[in-house]
Amino acid sequence: MTTVSDMVELARTPVVLEVPATVGALGEIASFVLRLAGRAGLDKGAAYRLRLAVDELATNIVMHGYRGGDGRITVRGRSGPGGVQITIEDAAPAFDPVEGRLPPVPGVAPEDRRIGGLGIHLALTSVDEFSYAHRDGRNISMLTVKAEGTDPCPPRP
Amino acid sequence: MPLSVSLSIEGDTTVIELTGELDAKTAPDFHQTIEKAAGHGTSTVEIRMAGVGYMASAGLRSLVFAQQKVANNVTIKVVGAIEPVSRTIRTAGLDRSILLSDE
Repeated sequence: MTTVSDMVELARTPVVLEVPATVGALGEIASFVLRLAGRAGLDKGAAYRLRLAVDELATNIVMHGYRGGDGRITVRGRSGPGGVQITIEDAAPAFDPVEGRLPPVPGVAPEDRRIGGLGIHLALTSVDEFSYAHRDGRNISMLTVKAEGTDPCPPRP
Repeated sequence: MPLSVSLSIEGDTTVIELTGELDAKTAPDFHQTIEKAAGHGTSTVEIRMAGVGYMASAGLRSLVFAQQKVANNVTIKVVGAIEPVSRTIRTAGLDRSILLSDE
């Protein structure tokens, strides 16, 4: 598991968004993340990767974490010239995205995979750094997209 | 964030044109249109995606659904997808069964 690099200089005070865990709130999360990407001066490709990663993780929390029940998602963001760091928190049952990741397997149709695994794979291959912790009954995912980051998303499995 | 979906027939091709953003919230609209398109029985289903600025894994599931819905001899084409969208399709390995085209 990687930790957030000291190389990324980010604002000390995070901005926070708390939304109900519903599909309807995903647009609000996307706007929040894209504002941070703009503030950090991420290029279009990096902003897209950041949005995709947060969207997939949040969608997974809504669909499979809380399973349609009541819940909240807290998104914290810091942006700086080095990039954007996002922390996503929820109180659904413990779930480590790294464990739940399902890379595409040649010969296995996407419809035969466990639901959610592909979205998480997309999320984890879109960011420069990712870490997960479970603390005080909360899932905490932390991810970073660097302004000068590479494009780690593989072209194909 | 809105998605507009239109459906038409051009010769032996059923054309689905998408504009907007394809995510967990909007993908159900695409799903409904795929059901209608599959009923047309044309030899090609062409999905025009040049106007799609964002696609999440929910959109991938719709494309898989389209493959399941049409007959084996029907070609599914995705046309004009922007680079990050076509990359998402390739990452899932769907370019093995769906034709990705620029034009």
